[in-house]
Amino acid sequence: MGEAMEWTSKARGSALVVSPSGAIDHDSAEAFQKNLMDALGQLAEAAGPLVVDFGGVEYMSSVGLRALMRVSKEAKTKSVQLSVANLNETMLEIFQISRFDKILPVHASVDAALAG
Amino acid sequence: MLVRFWGTRGSLPTPITSVEIKEKVVGALMAADGRRFADAEEAAAFVDTDLDFPIGGTYGGNSSCVELDLGEGEFMVFDMGSGLRPLGIDALRRFGEGRAKTFNIFMSHLHWDHIMGFPFFTPAFIPGVKLNFFGGHDQIEHALRRQQEKISFPVPLDFMNAEMTFTVLEPGQTHEINGCRVGVIKQYHDNDSYGYRVERDGKAFVYSTDSEHKGEDLAAEQGFVDFFRDADLVIFDTMYSLGDSITMKEDWGHSSGLIAVDFCHRAGAKRLAMFHHEPLYDDKTLHELLGETQRYEELMRGERSLEILCAADGLEVRL
Repeated sequence: MGEAMEWTSKARGSALVVSPSGAIDHDSAEAFQKNLMDALGQLAEAAGPLVVDFGGVEYMSSVGLRALMRVSKEAKTKSVQLSVANLNETMLEIFQISRFDKILPVHASVDAALAG
Repeated sequence: MLVRFWGTRGSLPTPITSVEIKEKVVGALMAADGRRFADAEEAAAFVDTDLDFPIGGTYGGNSSCVELDLGEGEFMVFDMGSGLRPLGIDALRRFGEGRAKTFNIFMSHLHWDHIMGFPFFTPAFIPGVKLNFFGGHDQIEHALRRQQEKISFPVPLDFMNAEMTFTVLEPGQTHEINGCRVGVIKQYHDNDSYGYRVERDGKAFVYSTDSEHKGEDLAAEQGFVDFFRDADLVIFDTMYSLGDSITMKEDWGHSSGLIAVDFCHRAGAKRLAMFHHEPLYDDKTLHELLGETQRYEELMRGERSLEILCAADGLEVRL
């Protein structure tokens, strides 16, 4: 546990796709939240959706999930549509156990997320 | 040290209904599938080994009350929910065996579900009994007096014959009580709550209920991890799913099993007891939540595994 998180960001039309990688836990949750908040800031004018591509994320602990929820609430205040995509089996299970799959739109792929 | 759970339900006592009992009996009969038992002992063994806990047992419905039984000397009690009533009755039996008639009672906070058992605590009416109350709040006596004012209860506090003392414990300091080292931590809950860590004979017990952990202050969360460090048992408020606790039930002052697992992993705690169960959850739902929390622990496990149990009224855990 505790592997460092890396980050890439890519515009897809009016949308922004962000791709964290590694583990999102106590060591990386603050950076994860800051990067997502920055991405929201970039989207404020374009008003396109924000897609979090979790394909490179091995797992996410409760501190990461809580950070993601704060970003989700901020996205709502900015009227930005936030969704997550490309979760591995572990991440899918974590989303189910935490009930985050009932709170956030979860898509099988980034393309599916962009298609809405 | 023996930890005895007398009440594990959050917010409100939740008695089992005849409909739920019928479901259990039907489940047991179906599982037995026509099998015959030579005697009651054999039938009891079948219940213990062949039936899932939601069929053969119940997590119970009394509100928060936990006893830390040191095996001798004075009693150590955490909170006075409706589970205090059966503890009081059992204490009378132990008085007969020569047990000291002194109770050290640690209060997480003074919300109703944590004090409602006291008017029915039989030892409080017995001359010679001593009740030492400890807590982070300076209003314990006021809360107990108010609860027994005439408009709410026919017997005032002053009618109780036990000698009572009230001591405020400072968080962040270690206090020597009944031969134990007792640590206190302030928690996030409406009007505050306090968690306790008790150490004695190389064992550490943590009682941390009615506490919300929003994750906005990671330094404060590190304080809890340090408080739980290497504990033999952590009793933790796991009332809601993580999703519920930070959306529609945000600021309700409670937490989830996933946060408990992460804190315990980081602290190197050995066992976690899920506690302060949501009154809406039946035994089947609580059992499923236990399974999900155990699965999350498995997914997030590092070098050391964490044993997870779901606290039930009547459960005993030896440390």
